[in-house]
Amino acid sequence: MFSYQFDWSVVTSGQYFEWLVSGLKITLELSVWSIIFSFLLGLIIAVMRMSNVRPILWFSHAYLEFFRNTPLLVQIFFWYFGSYQILPKAINDWLNSVNFEFAAAVIALTIYTSAFIAEDIRSGVRSIPKEQMEAARSSGFSYLRSMRYIILPQAVRLTIPPLINQFLNVTKNSSLAMTIGVAEITYQARQVESYTFKGFESFTAATLVYLGLSLVIAGLMTLYNRRVLSPMMGGK
Amino acid sequence: MKRTAVLVLAVLFVAALCGAAAAADTLADAKKKGVFVCGVKDSTPGFGYIDEKSRDIVGYDVDFCQAIAKKMGVKLELKSVTSASRIPQLIAGNIDMIAATMTKTADRAKQIDFSVTYFFTGQKFITRKGEVKKLQDLAGKRIGTAKGSTSEQNVKKALPTSTVLSFDDYPQAFLALQQGKVAAVTTDESILANILAKAPDKTKYEIPNIQISDEPYGLGMRKGDTNLVAFVNKTVLEMEKRGEAKKIFDKWFGPKGMAYHMARTFKITDKKESWEK
Repeated sequence: MFSYQFDWSVVTSGQYFEWLVSGLKITLELSVWSIIFSFLLGLIIAVMRMSNVRPILWFSHAYLEFFRNTPLLVQIFFWYFGSYQILPKAINDWLNSVNFEFAAAVIALTIYTSAFIAEDIRSGVRSIPKEQMEAARSSGFSYLRSMRYIILPQAVRLTIPPLINQFLNVTKNSSLAMTIGVAEITYQARQVESYTFKGFESFTAATLVYLGLSLVIAGLMTLYNRRVLSPMMGGK
Repeated sequence: MKRTAVLVLAVLFVAALCGAAAAADTLADAKKKGVFVCGVKDSTPGFGYIDEKSRDIVGYDVDFCQAIAKKMGVKLELKSVTSASRIPQLIAGNIDMIAATMTKTADRAKQIDFSVTYFFTGQKFITRKGEVKKLQDLAGKRIGTAKGSTSEQNVKKALPTSTVLSFDDYPQAFLALQQGKVAAVTTDESILANILAKAPDKTKYEIPNIQISDEPYGLGMRKGDTNLVAFVNKTVLEMEKRGEAKKIFDKWFGPKGMAYHMARTFKITDKKESWEK
């Protein structure tokens, strides 16, 4: 009944297996850098978004709305192809001599995700009673220090579940980097398909990789929350 | 209980799909339905691209589809495909035939059946003028092409030290060349020629006389669809005999055709490729 002949050997050994492994490596690198940078940038934007200084507030607001509401694919093309039009020639020449595809993908993923993370952190902060901020300020902490030592450590803990979501999204969204020629796992799976026509096998392998990565990320975050953050908060 | 029902449904669904693909006499089906569905490129100048005025897909491939549908006495319907999607689309039954700048290869022939060669070209490079004289000038450089194409595989073989960057389609690869992100764009000369013809700053680029492969194009049909293959071959060979095939070539690539001219160095014959039986 089935006219399709399954052949799993193409993805479990040999040259095509190596392609998939190299793709996995790039996906990991893309995800890890984007997660680190987008978390840091998201923190900064969240703090700016809650500032009392008007221009900072406006800037962060515009940033959030702009990057949350444009498609990631368009942003990737913008950083990769569009940046050429505005940058001076010397910088373009330098960018073209290094691995700019990878960098453009990380920049796009970071900025796109940081907008979502900032909103998640902000809602975490808003759930901390504002008396804590008042108490911190009246004890002589500056605004930034109150944030740093009192508010954010609690808010970040509350933000863990939505953050897991964002980190999982980064990992999966990194597949869009293939459109500018970054040889991550989806790119390699497609490559294996076009060489062997074993699309079902290669994309199954890629799917399992994403599933595995997502489970590992979610597991690590939960573990961190339980082992490090909860005891720090005096939780159960 | 519910699970069993879902399983049964799933099996039926797959069976229906397989059934549709297996019971293939596309020629009879097309005549019955009165429509023949052709998968063509929509952004490959010369072969299949969107005409600026009429907003229709036009090109060499489209004209062959048109001639075949006319001979069948049915209406032609066009669907756009990419290099990566065309074979899956055909096998899934979304299209009846591929006419999308597809090179005949032994590997592809395991999945689908090919017509006689209806266009013949070779793989070359577009580079910035004066930069590349011989193939080795491109060693270790970054080279752009499109995903899922034979061009990608050929260039890796011809230039193992180069880095191949595969984009979704050729216009993006050419944009990368314009921005200096790659040193060359490689694919079949016929496609390169037409990209160049449409480029705004075409005087800055050239196609050096370096050919890394032969590219015989075939029309693709489902495996075992023998009636259709025979019909298409007969039609295409007749078109050659009546001079219609040459007329279509001249319309797109000849002296009065589009901006870039190519010589027609081939004739459509029933000669088989070395790996074909």
